[in-house]
Amino acid sequence: MKRFFYRSQQTAVGAVLLTVFLLLVMPEGARARLKSAIGGLFLPVIGISTTGQVALESLGQLGATDAESFPTNQALGQAAGAPPTPAELQLDNERLAEENRQLREAVEWERRIPWETKLARVVGRDPFNWWRRIKINLGSNKGVQFNQPVISTQGQLVGRISEVGPLTSWVLLVGDPNCKFSALIKESRSQGGIVSPRKYSADPRVVELTYLPNDVELRPGQAVVTSGLGGGFPKEIPVGQVVDSWVSKNGLYVEARVKMHANLNQLEAVRVLTRF
Amino acid sequence: MTGRINKTLGLLIGAYLLVFLQSHWQGPRLWLGFQPDLTPALLVCAGLTLGAGQVSTSAMLTGLWLDSLSANPLGLSVLPLFVVGWVVFTFRELILRDELVAQFYLGTAAGAAVPVFQVWLLWLIGATPLIGWEMGVWWLINALLCGAAVPLFARLAKLLDRWFSHPLHDPNRWPNENRQIVRSKH
Repeated sequence: MKRFFYRSQQTAVGAVLLTVFLLLVMPEGARARLKSAIGGLFLPVIGISTTGQVALESLGQLGATDAESFPTNQALGQAAGAPPTPAELQLDNERLAEENRQLREAVEWERRIPWETKLARVVGRDPFNWWRRIKINLGSNKGVQFNQPVISTQGQLVGRISEVGPLTSWVLLVGDPNCKFSALIKESRSQGGIVSPRKYSADPRVVELTYLPNDVELRPGQAVVTSGLGGGFPKEIPVGQVVDSWVSKNGLYVEARVKMHANLNQLEAVRVLTRF
Repeated sequence: MTGRINKTLGLLIGAYLLVFLQSHWQGPRLWLGFQPDLTPALLVCAGLTLGAGQVSTSAMLTGLWLDSLSANPLGLSVLPLFVVGWVVFTFRELILRDELVAQFYLGTAAGAAVPVFQVWLLWLIGATPLIGWEMGVWWLINALLCGAAVPLFARLAKLLDRWFSHPLHDPNRWPNENRQIVRSKH
């Protein structure tokens, strides 16, 4: 019995070490397929979770409509007893005007852009804090392809597609060490490259723009857009604004910190540029 | 045998759900600013209560599931989780494993060791993860959360075991109605 116990322990250790060794020496393509297949095991729970979320949202909307249609006695009493003051009405008016402006902008933006986009829901994130990736609910079945650009619903740059599965895809967010691209200062048209910050920053919206020419005049607040060089991203997608700048240690180029427009920690839906 | 299968199944379902929640539930990221990883706590629990085969299977599957949902190379998380589970399993006879404090310390140590091991392995294979000193606070909080999670997981495992397994037959249990001599007047 004791012998069997020790033998089973040896078998367990051996099996784990052999698996790790095989996975590490496996060809890249086979490993990616295996990774996709294992990740596919989570599709049923992703489906259940998404359906549940949608159902809850629709229930919430139903609840809101009911409440608006049948105001409570207390609300009626308040409305009858105390009419809103001009200041309250003005505040309400300003809020509605702002909402209207945002909706108009979104509609105008959709009409203006020359690209074909597909709306996707964010269904997951990389569980490790040292990578910045999100999972969306569109895959190769919806025409999503490797390296396609991804933007926020307001049209600001978010990242690019890094892995495509049959039903879901992974998006590499701007700021991840593996997501680098060419960008330019909109005003001066000076070109540089966006890279992730050298060291980890608690604010995921801050990235670095490097290799800017020495004679560039940078001011905080200047807009940064994609340059279109390399063909990975179309031209003129808004990226962010310059926060501050400095000359590199070797004095050969200028670097700047850029605060991105898109809030990458609170993305719920994104657009994949399928044709650009 | 049924109890063992139940425990293994419970552990694997728990690991599957934990990995899914860590990847798809955004709450902790919005509240804490980072995503805690509680899988080391699960492996400590497995190491404290289950057998060698179950510890290695759970380390292997949890590691593979985690890596399949991340940019880590597949198999990278298996080794750190396995080492944690195996160390606890090997020395568990020397530990007061039912004590809350012991469970908390073991969970904290595991929660601190696993991310460091994972980052070291990433550097070893030439990957460039985004690391900074600000992550130290997160690392510490994550370790403490793992420490708190071990007693919680252990209680949950006991509860599930009570629900889904037959109670052990213990003939020497006292009071035992079958063996009790009931004296009467006659």
